[in-house]
Amino acid sequence: MIHAVLIFNTSGVPRLTKFYTPLQQSASNLTQRIFSLISARPSSLCNFLDAPELEQFLIQKDVDGEKLRVVYRNYATLYFVFVVDGAESELGVLDLIQVFVESLDRAFENVCELDLVFHFDEVHHILSEIIQGGLVLDTNVEEIEAAVKHAAKARRESYASSHPLSLGNKGVGGSRNTGLQTPLNWLTGKLTDSLSAWE
Amino acid sequence: MASNMRGLTQFIADIRGARVRELEEKRINKEMANIRKRFKDGNLDGYQKKKYVAKVIFTYILGYKVDIGHMEAVNLISSPKYSEKQIGYLAVTLLMHENSDFLRLVVNSIRKDLNENNEINNCLALHAIANVGSQEMAEALAEDVHRLLISPTSQNFVRKKAALTLLRLYRKHPEVIPAAEWALRIVSLMDDTDLGVVICVTSLVMALAQDHLDAFAVCYQKAADRLYRLTVEHEYAATYAYYKVPSPWLQVKLLRLLQYYPPTEDNTLRKVLHDVLSTIMSNSAEPSRNVQHNNAQHAILFEAISLAIHLDTNSPLVTTAAVLLARFISSKETNVRYLGLDTMAHLAARTDNLTAIKQHQGTIILSLRDKDISVRRRALDLLYSMCDVDNSELIVGELLRYLKIADYGLREEMVLKIAILTEKYAGTYKWYVDTILELISAAGDHVGDEVWYRVVQIVTNTEDLQPYAAKVVFEYLKSPSSHESLVKVGGYILGEYGHLIANEAGYSPMEQFQVLHAKSQFCVAPTRALLLSTYIKWVNVFPEIKDQLVNVFERYRHVLDVDLQQRACEYFTLASRPDDDELLQNVCEEIPPFPPRESALLGRLNKKHSDTEDKRTWIHGGKDANLERELTRKGTRKMTLGDINGNGSANGVVHTTGAGGDATADTINSLLGLDLSTSPSSATVSAFPDLQSAPAATLAEAGIPRLTVNTNVDRWFEKLCYTADGVLYEDIQIQIGIKSRYHGHIGQLAVYMGNKQAAPLTSFTTTLHTEEPDAVSVSFAKLAPNSIAPRTQTQQLIHVECKKPFSKPPVLSVSFLAGSHQTIAVRLPIVISKFVEHVKLGQADFFERWKLIGGPPRESQGIFPIKLDEAGHVDLAKQRAIVAGHSLNVLDGIDPNPNNLVAAGILHMSVDGKVGCLMRMEPNREAKLCRITVRSTSENVASEMQRLVQKPLNADTALS
Repeated sequence: MIHAVLIFNTSGVPRLTKFYTPLQQSASNLTQRIFSLISARPSSLCNFLDAPELEQFLIQKDVDGEKLRVVYRNYATLYFVFVVDGAESELGVLDLIQVFVESLDRAFENVCELDLVFHFDEVHHILSEIIQGGLVLDTNVEEIEAAVKHAAKARRESYASSHPLSLGNKGVGGSRNTGLQTPLNWLTGKLTDSLSAWE
Repeated sequence: MASNMRGLTQFIADIRGARVRELEEKRINKEMANIRKRFKDGNLDGYQKKKYVAKVIFTYILGYKVDIGHMEAVNLISSPKYSEKQIGYLAVTLLMHENSDFLRLVVNSIRKDLNENNEINNCLALHAIANVGSQEMAEALAEDVHRLLISPTSQNFVRKKAALTLLRLYRKHPEVIPAAEWALRIVSLMDDTDLGVVICVTSLVMALAQDHLDAFAVCYQKAADRLYRLTVEHEYAATYAYYKVPSPWLQVKLLRLLQYYPPTEDNTLRKVLHDVLSTIMSNSAEPSRNVQHNNAQHAILFEAISLAIHLDTNSPLVTTAAVLLARFISSKETNVRYLGLDTMAHLAARTDNLTAIKQHQGTIILSLRDKDISVRRRALDLLYSMCDVDNSELIVGELLRYLKIADYGLREEMVLKIAILTEKYAGTYKWYVDTILELISAAGDHVGDEVWYRVVQIVTNTEDLQPYAAKVVFEYLKSPSSHESLVKVGGYILGEYGHLIANEAGYSPMEQFQVLHAKSQFCVAPTRALLLSTYIKWVNVFPEIKDQLVNVFERYRHVLDVDLQQRACEYFTLASRPDDDELLQNVCEEIPPFPPRESALLGRLNKKHSDTEDKRTWIHGGKDANLERELTRKGTRKMTLGDINGNGSANGVVHTTGAGGDATADTINSLLGLDLSTSPSSATVSAFPDLQSAPAATLAEAGIPRLTVNTNVDRWFEKLCYTADGVLYEDIQIQIGIKSRYHGHIGQLAVYMGNKQAAPLTSFTTTLHTEEPDAVSVSFAKLAPNSIAPRTQTQQLIHVECKKPFSKPPVLSVSFLAGSHQTIAVRLPIVISKFVEHVKLGQADFFERWKLIGGPPRESQGIFPIKLDEAGHVDLAKQRAIVAGHSLNVLDGIDPNPNNLVAAGILHMSVDGKVGCLMRMEPNREAKLCRITVRSTSENVASEMQRLVQKPLNADTALS
């Protein structure tokens, strides 16, 4: 199963943290630890990392044979990190990260780091259409987008019904505060890991 | 949505604007104080609550501790507005964990949302349960979640969430889910047309099936069928193609699911899987330029190779796989190298023949020096798995050399593995001692206590080794810096066996003492204590250095450490007793050999899993290790079955509620022990519960369908026992007919299944069960289609083989979705008389054989009432027809009484060979009774044939 989904930027500031197993210690320790593990790895190394040192954070009992693995991908200024156990296929998770990024991209039209900050709730909603309770719900970007839109519509309707005088359409991603935008755009094209060297 | 709340956007902007951490904290503290005050004042409307809770969530996401907003989140959940409800749920899933007290307060709101006729509210509720599901929620809501999953009116996106929610509840609280009873219904969803649903249901089935292999057995053919349709027939919705690969995630899951089952025996399924696997392997032969495409392709490929290895390590597929893997481990691409090594370790752990892998030994050893630690770890695992008697010296040597430069994180595991390999494959004692001591001296701090305990055990138990070990350890101790573990080993071995080498030059008692005692000052108290024990042993065997030793005791009598002081005092007194006293000698008697026991090292390496987590399908280590593990798992599995029969229910609790906590090899052993002690119970299990009377749960757990019972079913069955064609089952939805043909011990049944309705039967599944698999085998010629169109018929061929006499006909079970999920299970008319062939005998031959066979037990006789026909005569024609229907040759002119019936036949069986069978029937018109006598060279056959022929003729039992 998937134990955690994290996004942080290249300076180590977490932009999304979602844990599917109760944490044993403080979350910021864990994210710092993971960041230090990953940021030290040059892009030519593989996208997987055994992480026995994370078990003290995520595994409750002192049992437990299954070693945790960190699977990560680096897009432009962001690291997408999944902490998974041995039941998941490493490359499968790598695909899943791509699905997540593409879904974000569709929702925000060229997603950038600031979207993740200002629309943190929306990011969580999108994630919840892909992963639920540490298990994968769907990998089809179309389906995910449809589900996200469905929820957004319901939200808009309920908002409109309570604010009859409100003007304009406050949909997904449409209302980004343009003054604060930084041009990071089109994350999906910005894969910076070694995969691009594939022959 | 954040953008709808200006205050929130401002708050976020402020925090982003804060240039230093202190300013940020100040801003947050100010905001939290404000919110706390607002909450305390109360009287907030929904919008305000939503806004403040959103701010709290944001603060939490930034990594700050928050202790407010829980109550407001609970209120928001029950808001009628979706936007407020959504934020409420988000807060609940982020801020609360499964043991939170606040969860009590939301159970009712969640139930309301679950039952509402509004899908997106259903989804919010399901999501919340899946994230924070507590015990209380599981108990209260599992039924509702299950209903949403199976209800035909549920939308696909609701069913997906329901499946995963159920899975989560099962993981956390397995006792609330009647997994076995729901099995067939849940598995039937694997046939859904929506791949999203299939993905989620497959995850659910995978988790449940691991604990209920038999109950979920049908999922094996479903998974194989789905894979076939995805890979070979390319049957899937276009949107599920991920960079042109059909739903890689689903394929990987299905391939993984198949690995949880033992390799199938069914030839049809084997063929299907073979096609799937070879298609996947040949697909990967053409690498593409696209990164994502390659990625997905490889994800599937690696899992497919694992499945191929699992199914049969000697198949040609695995040979192909080995070639592919060899290419992967020297790939330029790090991810591929990593996975190549990982999968090759799986192959090494299972295969009988390591030659293919050994060819690449050089490459693998080089991988130990890869620039990526992840790759180095995998290489280490692989070397561990591929080690055997031939290459052990080389591999262990390589590992030892690498240990000295290895990453710190890797060292402890390496030490364990080296120690295990050294012990397992030691060709000579000399090599063992040399290697293990080099290991201890090289690895130092990373040597766990188990390692040196084990050395001591082995040296103590192997007499030939003792003088050599003593010498070598002495040499190691001479070096200026020896690690403490080495001092411990040295202290122990020299104390016990130092006298064996004391007469050789350079190993005199005095030298031994000086070398060892020189280390003492650098050691911690427990080691010093051990050395004191060594000295007292020496007092016994080396009287020449007694003065020095007593001197040491004397000094230690005044140290502060209690343990040391006590030992020193005791040893001092012991050593100071008169010379002719025998006490010292008795105390220092040589240590007896340790009772043989399993190495504690392995236990440390393979810790057991907690129960409802996904299990590994294999472990690192050689073939033997994997075999052993299989046996242990089977042992525990058998016990699960025992439980359901009501025996040892206490064990059941242990099994399901995760005593997993303290589980180690010991627990497994004790479980096995229990199994033995309750052997009567396991006997009843293996002897198969009676299909009609056993409790439903037992049958479900063992994956046996409950027989459909009504008089029609019995009548159809009885008739088919002595005829070749006819109806086997019929109701308003479905009709099942049979045509059959037998030759010798082989038979072929054509089963016609017709849909009588105006709607299709979907998720159509057929399975066969035999209670006596050693005696009769049945299998489908090919997989059944998974739906039957309205008013059409499908045909399935069944191959039958009779091996030994049997009395329980195989069961055909058919299940389908037609509105609700239905299962029909009926016995197939396959009885031993079907395998009988005619034999022609004259009068003399017949009576000679009749006498030769003789009376009981090889004779079986019965007297039963018969009905007379309308004319008041015995219905001879019917008797003849039935006897002939059971394939016996009716012989005329043998019995002098024309009313009596004499018949003979030969039963063909592939294992037990041919068995002759003679029958005589004597009807009595006046008494309306009939006597039947069957004689056969096999007693089982005689009684079974008698029963079969008699049944349709007996006036009390006949149905047809």
